[in-house]
Amino acid sequence: MTTFSPRRRAGADNSFLAGLQKKLPDFAPPIIAIAIFLAIWQLFSLTPGATLPGPIQVVQDTWILIFWPFYDRGGIDKGLFWQIFASLQRVAISYTLAAIFGIGLGILIGTSKLMSKALDPLFQLLRTVPPLAWVPISLAALRQNEPAALFVIFITAIWPILINTAVGVKEIPSDYNNVAKVLQLTKKEYFFNILIPAALPYIFTGLRIAIGLAWLAIIAAEIVMSGIVGIGFFIWEAYQNNNVSEVILALIYIGIVGLLLDKLMAWIQTLILPAEQK
Amino acid sequence: MSVFVAVDQIDKVFNLVGGGQYIALKGIDLQIKKGEFVSLIGHSGCGKSTLLNMIAGLDLPSEGIVTLEGQRITKPGPDRMVVFQNYSLLPWRTVRENIALAVDAVMKGAPAKERRAIVEKHIDMVGLRPHADKPPGMLSGGQKQRVAIARALSLRPKLLLLDEPFGALDALTRGNLQEQLMQICQENQVTAVMVTHDVDEAVLLSDRIVMLTNGPESKIGGILEVDIPRPRKRMQVVEHPSYYSLRSEMIYFLNQQKRVKQIRARKKTAVARHGLEKVNLEIGFVPLTACAPLAIAQEKGFFTKHGLDEVTLVRETSWRGIVDGIAGGYIDAAQMPSGMPMWLTLGGHQDKPIPTVTALTMTRNGNAITLSKRFYDQGVYNLTDFKQHLLRTRDQRHTMGVVHPSSMHSVLLRYWLAAGGIDPDLDVDVHTIPPAQMVADLKAGSIDGFCVGEPWNYRAAEEGIGFTAATDLEIWLGHPGKVLGVREDWAAAYPNTHIALVKALLEACYYCSLPENAEEIRQILARREYVSTNVEYIQLIDPDSTSCDLGSPMREYAHHQFFSEAAINRPSRTEQTWIVTQLARWGHTPFPRNWVEIIERICRVGVFSTAARELGLDVSYTRQPLKLFDGTVFNADDPLGYLNSLPIKRDFSVAEVILDAPIRRAA
Repeated sequence: MTTFSPRRRAGADNSFLAGLQKKLPDFAPPIIAIAIFLAIWQLFSLTPGATLPGPIQVVQDTWILIFWPFYDRGGIDKGLFWQIFASLQRVAISYTLAAIFGIGLGILIGTSKLMSKALDPLFQLLRTVPPLAWVPISLAALRQNEPAALFVIFITAIWPILINTAVGVKEIPSDYNNVAKVLQLTKKEYFFNILIPAALPYIFTGLRIAIGLAWLAIIAAEIVMSGIVGIGFFIWEAYQNNNVSEVILALIYIGIVGLLLDKLMAWIQTLILPAEQK
Repeated sequence: MSVFVAVDQIDKVFNLVGGGQYIALKGIDLQIKKGEFVSLIGHSGCGKSTLLNMIAGLDLPSEGIVTLEGQRITKPGPDRMVVFQNYSLLPWRTVRENIALAVDAVMKGAPAKERRAIVEKHIDMVGLRPHADKPPGMLSGGQKQRVAIARALSLRPKLLLLDEPFGALDALTRGNLQEQLMQICQENQVTAVMVTHDVDEAVLLSDRIVMLTNGPESKIGGILEVDIPRPRKRMQVVEHPSYYSLRSEMIYFLNQQKRVKQIRARKKTAVARHGLEKVNLEIGFVPLTACAPLAIAQEKGFFTKHGLDEVTLVRETSWRGIVDGIAGGYIDAAQMPSGMPMWLTLGGHQDKPIPTVTALTMTRNGNAITLSKRFYDQGVYNLTDFKQHLLRTRDQRHTMGVVHPSSMHSVLLRYWLAAGGIDPDLDVDVHTIPPAQMVADLKAGSIDGFCVGEPWNYRAAEEGIGFTAATDLEIWLGHPGKVLGVREDWAAAYPNTHIALVKALLEACYYCSLPENAEEIRQILARREYVSTNVEYIQLIDPDSTSCDLGSPMREYAHHQFFSEAAINRPSRTEQTWIVTQLARWGHTPFPRNWVEIIERICRVGVFSTAARELGLDVSYTRQPLKLFDGTVFNADDPLGYLNSLPIKRDFSVAEVILDAPIRRAA
């Protein structure tokens, strides 16, 4: 045993290094690509007549925002964390509502042929309307910035959820339905034991697309609606004040948050769905 | 036992997308007893799953009703639980939860503890204790199907419905599961209906096998009773004497269905040409050396020479195929064993007389009785020895193979045995086996001997599996072998074609009888489309000469005789009369009181004479009494007296066989 233990320790060290080495091919290409991208960007910004700042310039201009994301000076002058947090809150509210209504309506359409025939054309039409086009109508209808923003996110996020749920319900394998018929399951038993689990993969696909769209819509909604805390309006204001570096920084943050949201949904999906259904 | 499930005159019609209708099932009638295991077998698309779904209530018949214990089935229910082909397990639930869902949904009244106990009991029943908490995705196909079976049985269904339950499993898993299912069904007295396309599975599991014909308008083509005692084991079932006959029955049925489909696809109308009513003929034959005249007429152009330009030879593997072809009217003419026209006419096929006539005897001789080499090794060389051997081994079953009840082989074998004091029904079993399968069966030991036409006797001897115990030389030299048979209504509709056909074949018979052609004929017959065997096994030498080294176990041989000056091809009334006595003797058909009329109708001597005259052949003929090896002389004027004088016979009936008056079909 004693002869084995040092060797094993050495092995552990080796395995850590080996692990790093193994991961190197995964990490190296994106890092190099980003470096090249930054370098080209920097080069372009150095050319005479360049309108946008280079990466170094951006960091120099925005280091306060980068290092103090949590500051709060009242009004809409808050750190980037709070800006993003406010936007996320709106997304959370609207997205939840969209999920509830989307799944509900989706099941209705999926189970009822009549409903499907009646509502499908309407939904297909509304679904193609871009988020920005909803802004004026929601402002006109709701007359307040906050609910209008929420509405725009809601109306953007609901379609993929609704349509995917409907498809999922329609596509429940006839085997499962036959099992339900033979067992004479009640409506309630059928709903919870067959319909929801069977449609779940489709519902999740819809939810995942919707979260991306919701995040997309919040920027659009907030840019137009002045005077609110939120990353969208932050960008707009920075532009108005000619702080292009801040715009660029906010852009990067939005990208990161969007990516994280998507990954979050993917992770939840792996938690809930059994292997066979993915 | 009373009827448990009744399927009563069901029709199922599907509306097609294009607006038409597809009649999937028509007039299905089936009664299932309690505790019975019934299999539905048929080709894909024959509607067997549809029938199962209608029993399940997942689908409703367009006409007719299905009842379970007298209650009409209108919707699915847990008392008729289905095991689906693709398991239909819910992937988001573990094995235990899948079974529990069913139990909880169906037994709502029972206390939770009791329901738990049922679930656990059935997990154990199918041996999935170690996998109880795994989702189906982590199980193999066989394990999944076991879960599906456990789920079905946990509901204590009155009726278990299985839709190709083992179709997607590998052979090993399938075998194990079949035995498990059998055991479970036996222990729990389950009534079950299973859809399958596996012939062996059907025999192993079923009490009855329902064979469905091809769609559209599928109906029940036949029901087989499986008389193999339970409990059955896979390995032992194979050795049961019924196994292979059941199996071959099903395979024959399925093949026949395939053929019928092809025949339906091929539209046939009579093509009249050269003054003949029909030149497109389908002629059935069985691969034997005796099919030489047909093969030669085709290959050497004798059919074409006599105006029959479009003759197709239809190769059937068994005589049964010929019978079905003639009965179904989808072959025009056929090579038949000499007793078959009489047997068909007297209602041997499904007790329905099919008047069939013969105008040509194509071959004589060429048959022999082969016994297993075992007997030879034990000193059994002839009939007397065989009788002694049978007396010594009364405790064993002895099975003899013949090709068809109406064939000369069957008649001769029975005559030979009876002449030696052996009752062919009581002392031995006589089984019907296709000719080409005889040697394989003898080798496998499932039969002890057979009587069949060449080349199979020769081949058995040559391969050292059997020895020739008697040949035509010793039984009846010059007996009729194969004849040309056509339906009487066919002969009436196409009289000139009939004569042309006889002419072509008579000429071919003559060609076959010439020794200088023997080598060529052997080569032709050995080909795939004819006998499909090694050319060495086909012997065509003058019957009076000896063919090869005839040291034991081979003996002097009566070879096929195709033609001779003595008009051996003429249909013989005397011979047909003798055949009538033999068919009645063994209870195959009744003895017709109107035998004179019947024999006159079967033997179309006029057609033969016309054909022979037109070919310029001598048709002189002298009537001679028949004399067989035991010295009994057959007097054709008193067949009934002859029949009564035979010591070993069955209780035969004498009845008037009423045939339809020959009708001339409108051409």
